[in-house]
Amino acid sequence: MEKERLYKIDEHQARRPFSVPEGYFDNLTQEIMAALPEQESIYSTKITVTPWMRIRPYLYAAAAFAGIFFCIKAAVGINARNNTTDVAQVEETTIYSDEYIDSFLETAMIDDYTMYYTLVDAN
Amino acid sequence: MMAYDERRILEMLHEDDISRRRAFEAIVNNFSEQLYWQIRHMVLSHDDANDILQNTFIKAWVNLDSFMGYSRISTWLYRIAVNETLTFLNRQKVTVPIETDDEGDLSIAERLESDPYFDGDLTERQLQEAIATLPDKQRMVFNMKYFNEMKYEEISEVLGTSVGALKASFHIAVKKIEEYFNNID
Repeated sequence: MEKERLYKIDEHQARRPFSVPEGYFDNLTQEIMAALPEQESIYSTKITVTPWMRIRPYLYAAAAFAGIFFCIKAAVGINARNNTTDVAQVEETTIYSDEYIDSFLETAMIDDYTMYYTLVDAN
Repeated sequence: MMAYDERRILEMLHEDDISRRRAFEAIVNNFSEQLYWQIRHMVLSHDDANDILQNTFIKAWVNLDSFMGYSRISTWLYRIAVNETLTFLNRQKVTVPIETDDEGDLSIAERLESDPYFDGDLTERQLQEAIATLPDKQRMVFNMKYFNEMKYEEISEVLGTSVGALKASFHIAVKKIEEYFNNID
């Protein structure tokens, strides 16, 4: 048989059997505050602002805009050149379509031999 | 002294030095007493509890910039207090030889009997003796729950232990204390 519990925690109301010197809590905050070392917050550190520091953001912004401008300009230039080539190729393809070449050959009075040498010379 | 408003205090901690000091004063005023009792139940002596409390607030003040407000101020302070207390107890174990005999830790009883700031009766003194036999962390959990009436969720935040593990730890502590009383009767 289990031994009867002589002391049961839940039957006793928790009471602090400790006390403190008189007036201890009344002066505690002042005592703790007086014991704190002096320190400077990283948030309140004073920084001397020079003219260079003041204009620096604007210069950086201007440099960034100039950089972006030249990048765009360079990109547009390359694209324009590529586009010209494409247009020329498209035009050639359009001008010398298969139907056009067939009809041209039918009416041009060129025999196969002449055609062969024309193409070989062209390459 | 300003009223305790945690949101406003967190803002003031990031302002100039005067605001920062005023905010910290409000924190000290709001939490010093409850932290004192938490520490006192662990170390028993008023002088030791007072020293550890002072160190707790000095540590909090010096490391104020590292407190980012991810937890409540009370949780942060409790964590510092717990660490300071455990460091003190570990140091005490190394430097002060504990006089014991087969029936328990007599030095605790002697200390409490002669302590002018202990006003408990025989049962309360025996309860303190029983609590002193628990491992430090279990004692911490028991004191937080039993004397300071903290919720398991709050203790969990401070000690970084799951609620389930804390409940088990408290239950075991109660059993050990009751067992201690059974053996002395």
